[in-house]
Amino acid sequence: MYSMILRRFPGIGSGSLFQQSRQVLSAGGPVVAAPFRSISTTGMVALPYEKRLGPKGWPRYNSVVFPPQSLDEKRRPAYVCHMKTNIKYSPWKMWYVASFIRGMSVDEAILQLSFVNKKGAGFVKQTLLEAQELAVQDHNVEFRSNLWVAESFCTKGVVVKGIRRHARKRVGLVEYFHCHYFVRLEEGVPPKHFYTPQPDGPTLLQRWINDRRSQRVYGSF
Amino acid sequence: MIAFREVVRKNSLLLTKSNSYLFNSLGYVAPNAAFIGQDYKIQVRFGSTKHWNPKWKPFRRLKVIKVDLPDFNEAAESKNYSPDEVRAKMKERGMSPPRPWMERPFEISSTSDIFEPYVPPEGDGKASYISKEGAKQSAEMVSKKSKTWLAFRKIRNFDEDFEGKHFAAEAQKIYLNVHKAVSEKDKNTLRVLVTEKAYPEVTLNMRSRTIVWNFLDTIEEPRVVHARCTDVIQKENVFAQITCRFFTKQSLAIYDRFGRLAHGSEVVAKDVLEYVVFEKHLANQYGEWRVHGKIIPEWAPTNFETSYRTFRMSN
Repeated sequence: MYSMILRRFPGIGSGSLFQQSRQVLSAGGPVVAAPFRSISTTGMVALPYEKRLGPKGWPRYNSVVFPPQSLDEKRRPAYVCHMKTNIKYSPWKMWYVASFIRGMSVDEAILQLSFVNKKGAGFVKQTLLEAQELAVQDHNVEFRSNLWVAESFCTKGVVVKGIRRHARKRVGLVEYFHCHYFVRLEEGVPPKHFYTPQPDGPTLLQRWINDRRSQRVYGSF
Repeated sequence: MIAFREVVRKNSLLLTKSNSYLFNSLGYVAPNAAFIGQDYKIQVRFGSTKHWNPKWKPFRRLKVIKVDLPDFNEAAESKNYSPDEVRAKMKERGMSPPRPWMERPFEISSTSDIFEPYVPPEGDGKASYISKEGAKQSAEMVSKKSKTWLAFRKIRNFDEDFEGKHFAAEAQKIYLNVHKAVSEKDKNTLRVLVTEKAYPEVTLNMRSRTIVWNFLDTIEEPRVVHARCTDVIQKENVFAQITCRFFTKQSLAIYDRFGRLAHGSEVVAKDVLEYVVFEKHLANQYGEWRVHGKIIPEWAPTNFETSYRTFRMSN
């Protein structure tokens, strides 16, 4: 893996709603107008009345700046990290969708997700499309199709607890799970096998032969 | 889920308590002519396990206490809410609006614009002084300087040691230091060398990339080209803006986030003609000459070699 020199960068762009609510009550923005661009920074944007919940570390990988490469070095592939937080879907169910697209090219993954019959697939597809946009606009990726899913995983998010009644004044807990979905797109051609493939006939045969050859019969002549 | 049920057969039709079963079931049995007109029971398979009497369903639904789940991705979807919608949403959640006396931030040590910007003559930097064209240009510049001289006089009211001739050299030092700070990403030094208006413009292009810049040579000596004085709000609060012309040799290489060359070259030197505006808050005793902005003429070249961007052609 490449060495990550993490730097502290301030959050890029403030939520459009936050800026708007300021404008509602004040007479316009600051005099020294800073050039802002509203980037879809999921999880880092909050409404004025909301506390910022959720993970913050994953998008920080996008701020890492690598030193200039020498001429004999192989061209470093670009990557972009993106996430969607607090999706109303179970993390255990989302795991299937996240595992499904690992190692696929972006186009393939988006196409496949359109036909996966799960609620989480829609969210993952949205995240992939946003990540693709970010890669082209901000991270100097020339071709939007020249990306593949290098990392794709999900974690548990906010759990809202509710109750349900049972017979005889008994109470049961109902948990409403949310999940966070993280993806890292890397520039280049996807690897031939991300997951270890099923061994083919000749490989299996060779393994069997090797096992048999290494067999020892103890106590024999 | 397959269930077995006993079904009462009446007459020649397969009748159940709910007639929809006739079409939903997997095990539809064709009427046998021998049994027509007689009642009997047979076992039939059904695909659905839905209860034939859903009277307990609403009671089961009521057992779960409904919870209003907040939409965590509401803000992230960046819907442009109107002010009324924002107010309504905040009211729903029972949040009071922000205090009405929110101060509007404004800067007192720099202006927000370049006043009466200098218009550089077309073809500047292309003709040499010796040629007819070049000589005419330099002559024109001297004659149009009346307002500039007045501005200099005003500056001398506050700063007796000020001399227009010596200012250009001083200005170039600041200009070079700014570029050095940008390439080293030294924000602390940059704060002092650059006004509040220019700071975001300079730093926005510093982020997420490495800039390798070298100053090689001065082609033409820097000279003051334009000067104006303005007062902001009060007559005594005077700001001075001086435009200097720099014609230098520089090399610039910009590497993107991943260390790949995105623009320019470390080896190739380029002739750079720039009109840089310096500002000083004269009324402030601690005011300094700082870079306030650049004048980019309309005839400036726009065909910069950058890394390729590929677009999809619309059909």
